[in-house]
Amino acid sequence: MTDKKEPSLPSGTMAHFANMHKWLQRALFVCLVALVIEASFSLPGLLIWFGWPTLSVTEVCDELMKVRWSDDKAACLVPHPLYGANEGVGRTNGPAATAQDEWGIQPRPLYKRIGFRDLVKFRDERLVREAAARPSKEMAATDADSQVLDSPLF
Amino acid sequence: MTTAIRSKSGFSAYDSHQDTSKQAQWRADKWMIAGTLLMGTGVLGMLGLPLFFYGLHLQMQAAKAGLSVRPLIVTLIGYLVIIDSSLNSLGWAMDLFANHSLINRVLTSGWGAVFDGGYFWHYNELMLGPYAVGGSGAPGEKAWEIALILACFCPRLAAAIGLLQMKRWGQQWLIVTCWMGLIVWIGYNLNMTFYADVRYANITFPVLGWWIYDIFYITPFLSLPYLHTVNREIFSD
Repeated sequence: MTDKKEPSLPSGTMAHFANMHKWLQRALFVCLVALVIEASFSLPGLLIWFGWPTLSVTEVCDELMKVRWSDDKAACLVPHPLYGANEGVGRTNGPAATAQDEWGIQPRPLYKRIGFRDLVKFRDERLVREAAARPSKEMAATDADSQVLDSPLF
Repeated sequence: MTTAIRSKSGFSAYDSHQDTSKQAQWRADKWMIAGTLLMGTGVLGMLGLPLFFYGLHLQMQAAKAGLSVRPLIVTLIGYLVIIDSSLNSLGWAMDLFANHSLINRVLTSGWGAVFDGGYFWHYNELMLGPYAVGGSGAPGEKAWEIALILACFCPRLAAAIGLLQMKRWGQQWLIVTCWMGLIVWIGYNLNMTFYADVRYANITFPVLGWWIYDIFYITPFLSLPYLHTVNREIFSD
């Protein structure tokens, strides 16, 4: 009865499980292709999402750090100095801490969400902020009695 | 005498068929191994995929020609497990040992900002006493990384090689390490769930994004039903 069918079955597959094996094989094939495509496009995909080539790879790293600690002064050091200070020192704790978190048993980060090419936007906004702050600082330095406030634009 | 000659010629025909089959399998495997080495790196995967497909094509041709080659599903399971283990281990090894490299601070922590805040939130701040560990600082994550690379992915990778060699120990150890996958998925996801704010608050594609990205790592659950229902006599002791 089963003699006719058996030769067409792969070795190790019994007729009872043939259908299941066929569908498992299809799913495995899909997973393999999807996994490889996903893994190979992760790096370029993320870079484009963040703002490359407008931003260089180092600038993307830099902007990511500024978002992470909500700190305009955070910088991505390349290469990071061996035995250098922890990147979060002074930004997570202490009087000058910048990181935005709701601390508790289950902490909640409050950094900015990064949408498509947002790092370019964040960079431009920061440059405007810095440009606006510069002349006011210079004026304050030249005129000691000046009441100009160093207020951020954003 | 006649019987002896007949049996000798029978044996030599069998031997010759076995030799030809082995050669055909090895020829296909060389392409698939080269492809898998590239696919295991992640970023070079698209270069490896055609090499792998060519090897797969050679194996299917050999099977059609009547040679005794590995069942296609065993080939897919074996190589997919190797790729899955490699990609997991590569990402986690980078987070463990190369966490201050530029590529890692863009790829891993950038991936974190988009899919899993555990790899973005206070990244590279983790300490072990006075020693800087760096990488992901999400609660529990570092322990999962070390435990799973050592106890799950490395043995699973070895088991997959054994499976591809059609060894019984390969099939048995793949069953063992794939069942570990159940603990991996349940434990890992519950850890994420309890620290869901750290993992998913204010990132680009929370929860659903993570699932869509990670669902293709379900290899163990696709392998187990086959490994338990295949006729294990095809694997040699």
